[in-house]
Amino acid sequence: MAQLRQDYQRFVELDTEVIVIGPEGPASFSKYWQDHQLPFVGLPDPEHTVLKLYGQEVNLFKLGRLPAQLIVDRAGMVRYVHYGKSMADIPENQELLALLAELNQEPAEIIH
Amino acid sequence: MSQVKLNTQAPEISLQDFKSKAVRLSDYYGKKNVVLVFNRTFT
Repeated sequence: MAQLRQDYQRFVELDTEVIVIGPEGPASFSKYWQDHQLPFVGLPDPEHTVLKLYGQEVNLFKLGRLPAQLIVDRAGMVRYVHYGKSMADIPENQELLALLAELNQEPAEIIH
Repeated sequence: MSQVKLNTQAPEISLQDFKSKAVRLSDYYGKKNVVLVFNRTFT
């Protein structure tokens, strides 16, 4: 997440919030956020409700879970989905930032 | 296990952050894009 922290300001400039979700509890999140001085939102999901909803794979043969990233636009629509095939399969921030810049060009459409 | 599809409405998320503040995905509607990161375990 160091890369994400480094690029966080660029996300902010594109009117984007970054939310990290994981099965760890609030104490683990709090410590990790403090240790690494992370600026983004951290949501503990120890009951796995959101993890199951978003279908993050549990790789039974390795510890930990496969990574996943999504971009949700201002209308609440999923505009980017990446489910990692391996622990290291994470998109570059640049890819996300480029898409966000494009989304920001679109006329605003709020779906109620 | 379901996977979220492109160009569909993102399922609502309603959780407390680690400071016990309620956060909902819908809080950002009309305001900001959101990058959701489901991370590997951090220790």
